[in-house]
Amino acid sequence: MPEKSMKLTDLKEGQKGIIISILGGRSVTQRLTDMGLTPGTEVKMLRKGHWGPVEIFVRGSNLALGYGVATKILVKVKE
Amino acid sequence: MKKITIALAGNANVGKSVIFNHLTGLHQHIGNWPGKTVERAEGTLFHEDFTIDIIDLPGIYSLSTFSIEELISREYIAKEKPDVVINVVDATNLERNLYFTLQLLELGRPMVVALNQMDLAEKKGVCINIKKLQKILGVPVVPVIAIRGKGIHELVHEAITLLETGYKKPKMEYGKEVEEEIQKLTKSLNKVDLDYPKRFLAIKILEGDEEIKKLIKKVDPKILKIAEKHAKNLERTHGHNRFTIIASERYKVANEMVKDCVTLGVCKFKYTDKLHTITTHPLWGYLIMILLVISLFYLIFTFGNFFSDILVESFMSLQPIFEQNFGRGILSELSWGLVEGLFAGITIVLPYILPFYIILGFLEDSGYLSRIAFLMDNLMHKIGLHGKAFIPLMLGYGCNVPACLGCRIMETQRERLIAIFVTTLIPCAAVTTVILGLVGKYVGLTWALSLYVINLVIVFILGRIAFRVFPGESTELIMEMHDYRMPDLKTVTKQAWFRIKDFIYIAFPLIIVCSFIIKVLDVTNLSESIENLMKPITVDWLGLPTFSGIALIAGIPRKELTLIMLASHGGTTNFGAILTPVQMIVFSLVTMLYIPCIATIAALIKEIGWKKAMFITVFEIAFAIFVGGIAFRLLTL
Repeated sequence: MPEKSMKLTDLKEGQKGIIISILGGRSVTQRLTDMGLTPGTEVKMLRKGHWGPVEIFVRGSNLALGYGVATKILVKVKE
Repeated sequence: MKKITIALAGNANVGKSVIFNHLTGLHQHIGNWPGKTVERAEGTLFHEDFTIDIIDLPGIYSLSTFSIEELISREYIAKEKPDVVINVVDATNLERNLYFTLQLLELGRPMVVALNQMDLAEKKGVCINIKKLQKILGVPVVPVIAIRGKGIHELVHEAITLLETGYKKPKMEYGKEVEEEIQKLTKSLNKVDLDYPKRFLAIKILEGDEEIKKLIKKVDPKILKIAEKHAKNLERTHGHNRFTIIASERYKVANEMVKDCVTLGVCKFKYTDKLHTITTHPLWGYLIMILLVISLFYLIFTFGNFFSDILVESFMSLQPIFEQNFGRGILSELSWGLVEGLFAGITIVLPYILPFYIILGFLEDSGYLSRIAFLMDNLMHKIGLHGKAFIPLMLGYGCNVPACLGCRIMETQRERLIAIFVTTLIPCAAVTTVILGLVGKYVGLTWALSLYVINLVIVFILGRIAFRVFPGESTELIMEMHDYRMPDLKTVTKQAWFRIKDFIYIAFPLIIVCSFIIKVLDVTNLSESIENLMKPITVDWLGLPTFSGIALIAGIPRKELTLIMLASHGGTTNFGAILTPVQMIVFSLVTMLYIPCIATIAALIKEIGWKKAMFITVFEIAFAIFVGGIAFRLLTL
């Protein structure tokens, strides 16, 4: 991917991003895509602790993701 | 009388069980799916001249193979072929719910969509064009407000009409490229005869679903080769893996539907948003949580103590009446032992466990527990679990039995095992009465509270070791955070009842039998020889008096019995006169850790099997004795 990609956890609170891809094994990827985190989807970072879980807004509702799993989601910033 | 079956399916937390309760009332049967530790709720509805069997399927987000719940659901619908599937959909969260609806449609059973929480959607400013949605989906859509019982009758009516007029399978199409591959594959499946519809099979093989691939392999392995070619084609053109492609397609369709049918207005929900922000705040969130949990415990145990004192007194006043009727002899004393066992169970359930679970149920139903799970995720991670595991842990402070069963919310076997293990170390209400009645009363509240802190540290350390020892991958928190809502009293009381029922059915008989055995030991003076046998441990290693031996044994059926036995064998209820403060602390510490009580052991066997249950039991006994001895030596330095 030539686009400037970053981890979901690199988004600042309030910032929006577009999902590029998900790294990681089948079961994690399957679960995340089942929850609507498919490539091209817009997400908004709502809350982010230092190491704690993150909370994002995606497809009309809020989703909590563990920190580890959140780092596996690659996004590009939506201006 | 016609007999039909209706299955309820939908995401977690969409009000499915509220609808189930409305439909079935008291005609319910809760059991397990055969051979699985997944709850199966079934009930009966008598409607006009129909006897309707209603199955409440587990709340899931997809029909893949991620969890046992997903497998059970799809196998049930495909194999048992319920006459109608009612898909409960959360109107406030339409897109993610429709993603599941699309998958259910692929299973080909007649379907009705229950669009629930219409009131909340309206307040959120979400306006749904139901007629349009119905037209696009091709199945009846019924607006429902389950907690107020609105739309339930219409739902049943639609389901029956569907059966009587015949169901026309709606035609769903995905994007051109994917759709072409699906249709080609469906054609090559022409001669395959399995329980699942061909289109469903085709999509699943394209996705790379292992279970379905196994089925197909048995019938016609050539098809898998063709499918592999198709899937590779798709992966090349889309640049993503196969199941991501299919999921994206489904979401695209769901998204289009939402765009077509939903108009967004003004959200009138400002205060729930604020509440959400503050309860997940990195500082205020934790403060609120700690305050709330502490006041919850304080309230429960002050109220509980007061209430249980009254209960105990009234039970005690029954003893003379009992003796008047049955005389005073060994036999009468033994049968009084049985009665006592029953009473003891009641004096724990009514004052402590019931209110605890009702309040916890309110927090759960309102959505607050998922905020706690969010806040605790980081910490729980250190012991290989994620935030959701904190919920059964909290249940453990009431009673370990429902807490063990509550560990089913964890996704994998390994996480269930670790969660169950740490849950059995949590001091339940009965242990708390011992700690408060002994250390709290005679040594001081600070020491009593320290015991809880020590307990948490131990839970943390042992959990971390278990995390290292038990093999397997851990999953991470992926959890929907629903808007806060008013808890529904009926749902809450029912949930509390189910949890307590676990305790009553598993624990009560065991408690009564074991209390009886203890009584026999007591009456026959066997207890003295047991006490002497235990001397090397109780006296030499733990520094406790000889008579504490039988008290510790008595804790096996129920932990609060330790206190009663201490009193009867020490000859006084003034524990200050028979035990030193150090002895009280050591005794409470051992009681807190040494064994999951007999009822919890039974629950463990049910959930994780004999071997692991025995391992945990033996380990905890050894560990408690070890820690008790160390504490004794440290405190008498």
